[in-house]
Amino acid sequence: MEFSTPRGMKRPVRLSEETRRFAADSLDRKYGLDTLKTKAVVLDGIEEFSDLSDIEQYDLAIRMIAETAPVRICEGEKISGAATLGFAIEHVVPATLNGDWIFPSISHLTVDFETVLKRGINGIEQDAKEAFEKYRGTEKEPFAKSCLSCLESFRLWHKRYLGALDAADGYKSNAENLRQVPFKPAGSFYEAVQSIWFTFAFLRLCGNWPGIGRIDVLLGDYLKRDLASGALTLDEAREILAHFFIKGCEWVNGQYIGSGDAQHYQNILISGVDEEGRDVTNEVSYLVLDIFEELGISDFPTTVRLNENTDEKLLRRVAEVMRYGGGILAVYNEDTVVSAFVKAGYELCEARRFANDGCWEVQIPGKTYFTYIPFDSLQILQKKTLGEYEAAPDFDSFDELYEAYLSDLGERIEEIYLTEAKRFEEQDPFKWKRAHPCTVVSLFENDCVKRGLSYIEGGPVYNVTSPHIGGLADTVNSLFAIKKLVYDEKKVPLSDLMKILKNNWEGEEALRQYALNRYDYYGNDCDEVDSVAARLLSDFADICTSFNGKCGYSFPAGVSTFGRQLEWSHGRLASPHGRRVGEVLAANCSPTPDTEYEGATAVIRSYCKADLTKLATGAALDIRLLPSSVDGDNGLEALISLLRGFVALGGFFMQPDIADASVLREAQLHPENYRTLSVRVSGWNARFVTLDREWQDMVIKQNEH
Amino acid sequence: MHDGPGVRTTVFLKGCPLHCEWCHNPETQSPDPEILFYKNKCIGCGNCVNACPVGAHGADGFDRKRCVICASCAEACPTGALELCGADMTVGEILKTAERDRAFYGDAGGVTLSGGEPLAQKNAVALLEACRDVGLSTVVDTCGYADRETLLSAVPLTDLFLWDVKDTDEDRHEKYTGAPLEPMIESLNIANEAGARIRLRCILINGVNTDEEHYGRLANIARNIKNFDGIDLIPYHAYAGTKATFVGRNDSGRADWIPTAEQVARANRIIRGLL
Repeated sequence: MEFSTPRGMKRPVRLSEETRRFAADSLDRKYGLDTLKTKAVVLDGIEEFSDLSDIEQYDLAIRMIAETAPVRICEGEKISGAATLGFAIEHVVPATLNGDWIFPSISHLTVDFETVLKRGINGIEQDAKEAFEKYRGTEKEPFAKSCLSCLESFRLWHKRYLGALDAADGYKSNAENLRQVPFKPAGSFYEAVQSIWFTFAFLRLCGNWPGIGRIDVLLGDYLKRDLASGALTLDEAREILAHFFIKGCEWVNGQYIGSGDAQHYQNILISGVDEEGRDVTNEVSYLVLDIFEELGISDFPTTVRLNENTDEKLLRRVAEVMRYGGGILAVYNEDTVVSAFVKAGYELCEARRFANDGCWEVQIPGKTYFTYIPFDSLQILQKKTLGEYEAAPDFDSFDELYEAYLSDLGERIEEIYLTEAKRFEEQDPFKWKRAHPCTVVSLFENDCVKRGLSYIEGGPVYNVTSPHIGGLADTVNSLFAIKKLVYDEKKVPLSDLMKILKNNWEGEEALRQYALNRYDYYGNDCDEVDSVAARLLSDFADICTSFNGKCGYSFPAGVSTFGRQLEWSHGRLASPHGRRVGEVLAANCSPTPDTEYEGATAVIRSYCKADLTKLATGAALDIRLLPSSVDGDNGLEALISLLRGFVALGGFFMQPDIADASVLREAQLHPENYRTLSVRVSGWNARFVTLDREWQDMVIKQNEH
Repeated sequence: MHDGPGVRTTVFLKGCPLHCEWCHNPETQSPDPEILFYKNKCIGCGNCVNACPVGAHGADGFDRKRCVICASCAEACPTGALELCGADMTVGEILKTAERDRAFYGDAGGVTLSGGEPLAQKNAVALLEACRDVGLSTVVDTCGYADRETLLSAVPLTDLFLWDVKDTDEDRHEKYTGAPLEPMIESLNIANEAGARIRLRCILINGVNTDEEHYGRLANIARNIKNFDGIDLIPYHAYAGTKATFVGRNDSGRADWIPTAEQVARANRIIRGLL
């Protein structure tokens, strides 16, 4: 059994043959296909269903899910619980009425597993009972009641698993663990892993896609105790934890074609500092790296929190695992993230608790409502500021153009603010609750239960809506090309350039080539253009934060495209930096494809010139490395140095991938031979063969040098 | 990231006394600036024809005999099909460029002098000295074609030599590189005696130097190096031939020279077995 890599390197073997087989089966869709067999529970024909309130309907749906979702016990699994309803994979509550789903679900949050481990579900139930007493007879009663109902459903589902495990041969430990957790506090490493998994599986079964958070912080002490007492060996712990990751692949089914079948916002973090600034790295951090190195699985994508003082041993291990390619590992520079959070108003010790939201945007786990609103900044420039190239005002100077653009950008952000702020300013704040019941995630988000408010109606401690600027490099390069062509070198008047662009550079190949080739664009460490990027990001962040405090949401800035550059390409016109209509342009904070020729270090330097601490919800840089550049001992040193440099220069988040374009092309031709081949797409990983052609081509292009 | 440990900034010093038939940097053989012409990038816009003061560009293409390397054509070319290769830079200017990557060097990375033959330029020593002064690690990629004095000055300033031994057979060396073998070996001995840290880099060319006798002699050389860093066998790559066309020569790439993966593995096995 071989676990493929985009680079053809041999992976080490540490896990048992059974566990490796379990991984191979999962990646080969065995359980993912099984999940598709039952799509949802059916709410048709329930008497007086339509008389129930939305939240009562939701509670009933959750109850039916708990009572009737298939129970799955995988052969040889060390931990149990499975999200077995197919519609959950489509990000909805898997319950249908007249053939259609009726409740959306929640993602982009990392829930509070710490409380689950330390107090157990019983602890949460105690809070819910108190809240119910408190809010009885008030407008909050329906939510408080819903909390109790969903907890009861969870208990039902739990009982079904216990029964099934007791009845099956060979699952004694699983059953023993489940008798303790997740309802009672976890007492051992094995129980703790089972507790997180079972709770996570229930959340997913109900359609939600939460992230997991800092797994080494959550599990480290349990493992330390068990190793010290001799209750567990490190090898045993690795096996148990491997099952957690393998079960994370239970939705891999090859059916969710498009952006890949493994993107369920279930990221994990390792390493970094705790509230007091002490390094949290422990044996669990290293076990996670061992598991990725061996299995090359696409779940759960994991981000390592690095800082100036990151231990050389950890960094070397991270680089070693990263070298296999596949992009399962990304890095935060927590010095920048923590500074950004403090700037955004969080206490330092709170800021240090940051995790991702399941993707790479950052938040305080277990107490944050988070949403981001993406928009294409290039489209604003093309369509608004430059009037679709038909009605561009005759700007006298570049600064005049820039100011006009900023004003249009501001309008867009205000529009986002007004739409989002309404959720808090609505006459009837409970309208949202009725439209989007989300009690199951609310149980695990502080302080929804205690406040008697759900996740989306202000229950969490922090409520964050973040405008995300996309098309950054393309906008910067466009502005810069206009600055050079029109104002600095006066090669062409603005009005003529507009006509040329409107005509998609038709008949102007020499000028197009000039614009393409004669300027250094963003990503080459050229101060002249990078300063435009830095200025734009800073101005954008200032506009966003000017809305802070005006409603229940904070309004920090972020940068992302994820994969949206694909769909955006259809709505864009030709660009001043020599690009024609329809070309797919830059991702996240990365340079426009084919404009960076100074190498990875120059890309990082360009990116780091902006004050990234003003972008509190994240600014991702995708980096593709040439396989030969990371080969051998020298290559390993180079990769370590690259990560260190990223931190030293003040980067925020970086997702490197090392894939050989020729291997990817081969996989495109012979998908049957590359079922386990995983690549970094954007904020997620995907098995390459489950990407559709357009996405595959984009990833291949990104890996060509 | 290919020229020594860690992240490195490579400085290509133009000019090489050798003319290896397989040269992978043909644009650095001449010590003078040159105009590179990438035919595939040319869109036939004619800007170069108008820009050229001596009529070197015309309907028939680029006549290098007329070219005075004024670079007006490269200035006018919109696609970058014409490019000026080589510029006079001061040690200070080079250092400034190298400093840009300082955050990435860590303990291992730094500056690599390559070429061309860097030690053919006396100023190489000044550059090494300057790197040493600001604490940048130094690697020199050389074939050893340098005078004794330059070598002895370079050794204490160089953290690692990547020493290219093209061939160990006198006749073949002279035939394919245009230079005798003996002075190269002499240089290696001088550097070795002076305590240089040396890593051997040996090109492997199918049918030219893929014989066991050569491997044996390489192992012999390696064994005699006191401060030995290792040996890399580098398979010949035909892309070098394409690059030759950029400086106006015929494509000298030879598919038959590319060694098979088995040949490379065998060579590695034999040499390592003898070390």
